[in-house]
Amino acid sequence: MSLDLPQGTLDLLILKALSLQPMHGWAISERLHQVSRATLQVPQGSLYPALHRLERRGLIRAEWGASDNNRKAKFYDLTRAGRKQLAAEEDAWEKLTTAVALILKQA
Amino acid sequence: MRQALNDLRYRLRALFTRDAMDRDLDAELQFHIEQEAAKHVKAGMSPGEARRVARASFGGVERIKDDTRDVRGLVVLETLLQDLRYAARGLASRPVFTAGIVLTLGLGIGANATMFGIVDRLLFRSPATLREPGLTHRIYASYDLDGDRRIDRNLAFPVYRDFLASAKTLDALAAFQTRQIPVGDGAETREMRVTVASASYFSFFNARPLHGRFFNAAEDSIPAGEPVAVLGHAFWQTKFGGRADVIGQTLRINQIPRTIIGVAPDGFVGMSDQGVPAAYIPISNYAHEFRGPRYTGNYGWSWLELVARRKPDVSIAAAEADLTIAYYESWRREAAGQPGIGSPDSARAAVNLGPVQINRGPQAGRDAMMARWIAGVAFIVLLIACANVANLLLSRAVGRQREIAVRLALGVSRGRLIRQLMTESVLLAVLGGAAGLAIAQWGAGALRTFFFTTGEAVAVTTDVRTLLFAAIATMLVALLTGLVPALQAGKGDLASSLKTGSREGTYRRGRTRTVLLVLQATLSVVLLVGAGLFVRSLRNVQGFRLGYDADRIVFAGANLRGVRLNEAEAVALNERLLLAVKEVPGVTHAAVVASVPFWSNEGRGLWVPGVDSIRKLGRFVLQAGTSEYFAATGTRVLRGRAFDENDRAGTPRVIVVSDGMARAIWKSDDAIGKCIRVGADTAPCSTVIGIAEEMRVRSLAEEREYTYYVPAAQYDLRLDPQLFVRITGDAASFVDPLRQRMQREMPGAAYADAMPLGRLIDPQRRAWKFGATMFVAFGGLALVLAAIGLYSLIAYDVAQRTQELGVRLALGASASDVMTLVMSSGVRLVLVGVALGGGLALWGSKWMEGLMFQQSPRDPLVFGFVALVLLAVSLLASCGPALRASRVDPNVALRGD
Repeated sequence: MSLDLPQGTLDLLILKALSLQPMHGWAISERLHQVSRATLQVPQGSLYPALHRLERRGLIRAEWGASDNNRKAKFYDLTRAGRKQLAAEEDAWEKLTTAVALILKQA
Repeated sequence: MRQALNDLRYRLRALFTRDAMDRDLDAELQFHIEQEAAKHVKAGMSPGEARRVARASFGGVERIKDDTRDVRGLVVLETLLQDLRYAARGLASRPVFTAGIVLTLGLGIGANATMFGIVDRLLFRSPATLREPGLTHRIYASYDLDGDRRIDRNLAFPVYRDFLASAKTLDALAAFQTRQIPVGDGAETREMRVTVASASYFSFFNARPLHGRFFNAAEDSIPAGEPVAVLGHAFWQTKFGGRADVIGQTLRINQIPRTIIGVAPDGFVGMSDQGVPAAYIPISNYAHEFRGPRYTGNYGWSWLELVARRKPDVSIAAAEADLTIAYYESWRREAAGQPGIGSPDSARAAVNLGPVQINRGPQAGRDAMMARWIAGVAFIVLLIACANVANLLLSRAVGRQREIAVRLALGVSRGRLIRQLMTESVLLAVLGGAAGLAIAQWGAGALRTFFFTTGEAVAVTTDVRTLLFAAIATMLVALLTGLVPALQAGKGDLASSLKTGSREGTYRRGRTRTVLLVLQATLSVVLLVGAGLFVRSLRNVQGFRLGYDADRIVFAGANLRGVRLNEAEAVALNERLLLAVKEVPGVTHAAVVASVPFWSNEGRGLWVPGVDSIRKLGRFVLQAGTSEYFAATGTRVLRGRAFDENDRAGTPRVIVVSDGMARAIWKSDDAIGKCIRVGADTAPCSTVIGIAEEMRVRSLAEEREYTYYVPAAQYDLRLDPQLFVRITGDAASFVDPLRQRMQREMPGAAYADAMPLGRLIDPQRRAWKFGATMFVAFGGLALVLAAIGLYSLIAYDVAQRTQELGVRLALGASASDVMTLVMSSGVRLVLVGVALGGGLALWGSKWMEGLMFQQSPRDPLVFGFVALVLLAVSLLASCGPALRASRVDPNVALRGD
C-alpha cells in the first residue's frame, strides 16, 4: 500500500533527509522511499519544484559536485536557517500527531 | 528580512542567468532519470526498458520544468523585462517619433526641475547648517508712519540690546548685517561683502570653524569690542591660498587692521543664500569705528537685521507678544530721548516673527514672486508636453487597434496589455527625465546667475531635492501620458474592432484626443498672453523715462576710508575731482551730487506757507548738485530755468521742483515763484525757479515719490565726493580711465571707484526682463508643441478618412471643398481653445496686475494678437494634411485597405 503525502509535509521530509548529509535529488527520493519502507509514494518529479522553493527560501543551498559513480550531480545541503526550520517543523509535527492520535483514541 | 533578501537574490539570479539556470535544471533532471534507470538495470532490466520505467515514475519532464521555473518567481519580473524589451524595440524602430517625445518630455521636465531648484532655494530651503529651523525666525517690526503701515526688518542697535535684555521667550537672539566694506590695503583694496554680526550669530548654526575660532561675546562687547575677523571660506581660499597660518595675521577691513582669528567652514552661508561674505566682524567693533561710541544709544540708525530662536515650549504668538512688549519699552526709551516721535500705542507698534528666508516673509522680493510665476508656467508647459505625448501615443494606439484586438482575441489579458502600454510610457518618461536633467543642468547655470547674484555652485545632478523632484515629475509624466492610451486600449469592443479595422464606414474622432488638443490650445493661449503682457511691460520699463540719462552717466566717487577732511579740504577735493574727470577724453560734463538713484538718497524737512504737514503728501527726495548738474544728468527742465554757476553761496536760495511735486503741493497753481523752506521752518525762503521731470530714485513704480533739486553751494550741505560724469560713448569703457585719473587726487588711504550708473538701475529692470524672456520662451515652446499636436491630429484624421474623402471626391467635391473641410475641423478646435484660454487669462489677470509695469493685464491688443497667432499656426499646421487630403485619388481610396 502506498500513501499520498499530506500537503506541505514534503518540505519537512526533504529537510529531514538532508539533515544527515548533503544529497542530490535522486538520493533524496531513494531515501524517502526506503526509510518509509516504500509506504510513501512521492512522485519523483515533484521533488524538484520543492527543492528549488526551499533553495529560494534560503533553507537549503545547492552545489555541483561528483556523485558516487563520479558523475556531475547537484548536491543539496541544509543551511543554518534550514536547520532551525527543521527543528521547528519537527516539533510542530510531533505536537500535531500527538494531538490527532489522542483525539482518535478518545473519541 | 534575511529571508526576503535571499528571496530577492534568488529571483534576480533567476532573472539574469535564466539560460544558465535552465541548463542546470535540464542537467539535474537528466541525472535523476539516468540514476533511476541505472538502478533498474542493476535489478536486471534491459537499458531501454529501464529508461522507460524511469521516465514514467518521474512524471512529465516539461511540466516539472515549468513548475520549477514558476518557483523561481520569474513570472512578474520576466514579463516586465519582456514588456521593457518589447517597448524598447518598438521605440527604437521609430527613432524620430521616439526622439520627438523624449525631447518634448525632456523640455517639460527640465524646465520644471530648473525652476524647482530655484524656487526651492528662494522659498523653501532654510539656510544650510541652520540649527532648529522650526524655532528660528527673522524679526520684523511694524508701525504706522504718516498714515501708512510700515514693515521694517532693519532695527537699531539699542533696540537689539533692549530685546536682549527684556525678552523672556527666546533661547537666542542675534543681530547681523551684510555690507559692502573695503577689504585689503592700498591698490589691492576692494569693496567686498562683509557680515557684521553679534557673537551670538554663530550659535544659530551647526558649524565649527575650519581653523581657529569664531569671535566670542567678550570680543563683541560694548563699546568697542576687539578688532578681530573670521574669514569666509571662499575668500580664504582665493586670497590666502587656503593656508592655515592666516590665524594671527592682520587684514585691513574698513579702516583698521583686524586680527584673523578663524576661518568659517566650507558651505557656511550664514542667514542668507546670497553667497558667502569675505569675512565676519563683531558689531560693536565695527559700529564703534564707523559711528563712534554713541552708536549704543543711536535709535535712529536702523541697520541691523535680527534673528531669534524661540524656546521650544513657547508658541510663535507668545514670543511675538513678548517681543512686542519689549518693543514698546524700547520705543518709550527712544521717545524719552527724542521728543516728537510719538508713542508706540499711537503708532500701533508690533513685532512679528517671520520665516528666516526673506522671500517667504512680508518683504518678499519681486524676483521671488517672479520665480513663483515662472514655476507655474513651467508646470503648464509640462502639462502641454504631456497632453501632446498622450495624443501621439493615443494616435499610435488607435493605429494599432487591430493588432491589439488580435492579441486580445488570442487570449492576452487586458491587464497585461495595459501594463505593456504603461511600460512604454514609463520608458519614455524615464528617457525624458534623463534628458530633462541634462536640460536642467544647463538651464540652472543660465538662470542661477539671475537669481543668485554671487554665482554659487550650480548643482542639479548632485542636489538630492532636485533629483527627487525630477523623479516625481517623471512618474507623473508617465502616469499622465500612459493612462489615457492604456485605458483607451483596454476599453475597445473586440468584435467590432476585428470586423471593421480601419475601414469603418463612418468616421469618428476619439473624444479624448479632441479634449487633449483643446486643452493644449487653451494653455498655450494663457502662456502667450502672459508672454505678450511681459514683453510689453519690459518695453515700458526700458522706455521708461527715469528723469536722467542713465546710459550716459558714470557714477564715480571716492571712498575716504577714514581720512578726515575739514570743510575746506572736502570742498577742495570735490573741486579737484570735477576738474580731474573732465580731463578724461569723452567726458562732457560733471557734477558732485547728494543723492544717487538706487544707491543713497537725502531728504530734508520741507515747509511751505499755507500747507501743513507736507510729509503726508508723499516722500520728497533732496537732490543737490554743483552748477553743471542738469547738463550732466540730462534731466529736462520743463518750465522756468535750471540753477547754474550764478546761484552761488550768498545769493538768494533757489530750488527746482519736479512736476509731480509741484502738482502735489500747489495743485493747479503755478509753482514758479513760490516759497519753500528747506531744512527748518526758520530757514530763508527758497524760490522755485523751475519745474523739472521726476527723478526715479528709490523705485520705478512708486507714485508718491518726488524730487527737488537745489544748488549745493547755496545750502549748507557738505557733499560726499560722489560725481555724475556725463560721457559720450560706452559708459563701461570710461570706468578705468576715470578711476585712474581720480586716484591721483586721493588723499592718504582713500581710493577712487567708478561704475556705469546703469548698473544700479539694471536690477530694477531685470525682473521684467527675466519675466519677458521666460514667458516668451515657454510660450513659444507651448505654441510649437500645440502646433505639433494639431498637425499630428489632423494628419491622422486625414489618414483615417481617406476613404470617405475619396467618396466625396468621386461624387464631385472639388479639391478646395475637401481642403476647407479638413482645415475647418482643425481651426475650429483651436478657436475653442482660444476662447477658453482667453477667458482663463482674463480671469487670472487680477493676479498678474502686480507684476506688470504700466500695463493692463487685460490689454485687448495682446489678447487679439495671441488669437491671431494661434489662428495662423492652426492654419499652417492643418495646411499640409489638407493638401494631402485634396490629392486623394478616389480610385485608390475606394479600393484600398
